Amino acid sequence: MIQEGTAFSERVWGSDPILQGLHLVRAFGDGGALSRAVDDVSLEVHRGQFVLMMGPSGSGKSTLLAMLSGLLRPDEGRVVCMGEDIWSLNDKEREQFRLDHCGFVFQGYNLFPSLTAREQIELVARWGQGATNAEARDMADALLIRLNLIDKAHLRPAQLSGGEKQRVAIGRALVKAPDLLFADEPTSALDWAHGEEVVKMLRELAKDNGTTVVCVTHDHRLVPFADRLIDLEDGRLKRQSYGFHGVTDQIGHPMQEPGEIQPAIPAKPTLRFRATP
Amino acid sequence: MSYALTTLWHERQRYLTAILAVAFCALLGSVQFGLLLGLFSITSMPVDNSRADIWLGAPKVLGVDLGRPIRESQALARLASHPDIERVEGFLQGFSYWARKDGGQELCMVVGSRLEPGSMGRNTALERYPELAEALTEPGTVVFDESDKEKLGVQKAGDEAEVAGTRVRVVGFVKGAKGLAAPFVFCSLTTARPLLRCFPGQITYALGKVKKGASPEDVVASLRRQYAPAPPKADPLASKDMGALSIQTESQKEAAEENALGQDSQAELSIFTSAEFSRRTRVHWLTKTKGGFALGYAAVLGLMVGAVVTSQTLYSATAASIKEFAVLKAMGIPRWRVSLHVMTLAAWVGIIGIVVAIPAVFSLAAVAEMWGVQMKLEAWLLITVSVVTLFMAIGAGLFALRSLRGVEPALLLR
Repeated sequence: MIQEGTAFSERVWGSDPILQGLHLVRAFGDGGALSRAVDDVSLEVHRGQFVLMMGPSGSGKSTLLAMLSGLLRPDEGRVVCMGEDIWSLNDKEREQFRLDHCGFVFQGYNLFPSLTAREQIELVARWGQGATNAEARDMADALLIRLNLIDKAHLRPAQLSGGEKQRVAIGRALVKAPDLLFADEPTSALDWAHGEEVVKMLRELAKDNGTTVVCVTHDHRLVPFADRLIDLEDGRLKRQSYGFHGVTDQIGHPMQEPGEIQPAIPAKPTLRFRATP
Repeated sequence: MSYALTTLWHERQRYLTAILAVAFCALLGSVQFGLLLGLFSITSMPVDNSRADIWLGAPKVLGVDLGRPIRESQALARLASHPDIERVEGFLQGFSYWARKDGGQELCMVVGSRLEPGSMGRNTALERYPELAEALTEPGTVVFDESDKEKLGVQKAGDEAEVAGTRVRVVGFVKGAKGLAAPFVFCSLTTARPLLRCFPGQITYALGKVKKGASPEDVVASLRRQYAPAPPKADPLASKDMGALSIQTESQKEAAEENALGQDSQAELSIFTSAEFSRRTRVHWLTKTKGGFALGYAAVLGLMVGAVVTSQTLYSATAASIKEFAVLKAMGIPRWRVSLHVMTLAAWVGIIGIVVAIPAVFSLAAVAEMWGVQMKLEAWLLITVSVVTLFMAIGAGLFALRSLRGVEPALLLR
């Protein structure tokens, strides 16, 4: 059984979490119609993890993501990100924090219809990091090569497939080399072939950049790619578990707990986890 | 290409309404004020179409068509006395009554000048008709713009008529010399005197030509200093009872009353450069008739309509991209960056609209010219209208920024 804070997890991820949510509560409505979308949820995310937050519709995953990413103020609780209590910052400071450390990928791509794939990424480099035209172009092209989209750099969203659009959105999110990438249902609008392509790319690029990924999804096909699963139900944390995908020891051997069977990583998702209650 | 231009090009159908609204504003403003300037430039035509550098007339003259008789010898001598004046000559202009053959009477503006080539007062409209200028040297002959034939009841050259009881013969017609309040009737100084009931020794204006290299403005300033107001004394030649024509405007009556009170109006003459006098004439007509305000009102209304349409279009276009802007805000892109993008869009909509309007303005001016209506599209007018229109477009962009208030990244999360 693998629990948080055990020697195993500390050995793998280090002891200091990059992101902590502490007793988070968020309610909507008022009076008799008040409903707690997130009800006293605490969690930790370590640097470099690919974390999936899963649960049925209405379980509070997106609300939790919004609070953890500094987009929605919790009614109670704290969010500590890279040592900073982000909800004690003012709006401008929190905006600057997101600019410095966070990237976002949303389900709906939300690409500007008139900009090419290259320009979508350049825009963030220029407006967010003050890159010059030449620098922004180089950064965009480097990412497009990694995303296998360099041949389509000149195309606009209307000329791209869903998977390609989402990859452009990923490039846009990663051009700042953020410490944290928050993704909301990045594959739910895609068929599995494109979805798998997207999530693999997301994971690889995130790992290469040292970016921690927190991803909300209800797509179980993403589970094999996760380092960590967080299950929510009715606004409460139901279960947390670790995966073994890509987990190796210091000399590159795949890790396994003594007495545990190392789960295989099949082509199709059937990975079994030991979960903490 | 900037993102704003890229957006405008690829979503041109969306922004076309705003661009056309801006173009309409620029067009309306240019046409309205161009027509106004064209219309009232007719009033200063005798000045604009002369070769004089300096105009000297009765005190407090408000416009070239509102002159009063002054002593010819004294006026010419005073003007000629300045060392920078090369030559001087007299000029007559005033309202009179044209009696038509059918018995009706029409107000006309008699313009009498020297007619030899190169004379200052000769209207440049006569340049194209040297034979008519020659014919006008015969006393009692006149010409006028051919569009005024019907008004003056004249069918053809050679017809006769009466002006202020004096028989005249029409020797021909010119083009491009149409009057505003009354038809211009061109003739020699000799012919003009009885038509305006001026005594020998009277003129309306003394015209002066400055020497090469001299500045008309400096000469005018010097003459003004020289002819400072003198102690009041009666001057019979400048009084209202000189047999001058009974037609007097209010300003002329005011000046005549001043003379009756004993002020020496000859000691305080009106002295202007041609440009100054031309502007003075036009401004007087503009403000006197309130025509400027009427057309200005219409232009302002056009501007408001354009502003509303442009702002609504920009607002809708910005709102349509609200999710994309929300993503940028989520990633910490400062709001001022996005606002700047929207304002840049608005400015480009303004610029493109103005560029679209300019050829349309000149086309309309050409059409108006064909119908005999002059539209004066001076550079300062076009620049002013363009700047005002651009500010209107940018102001519309400020309005469109309201749509950014709805940018809430958290709403992007399901």
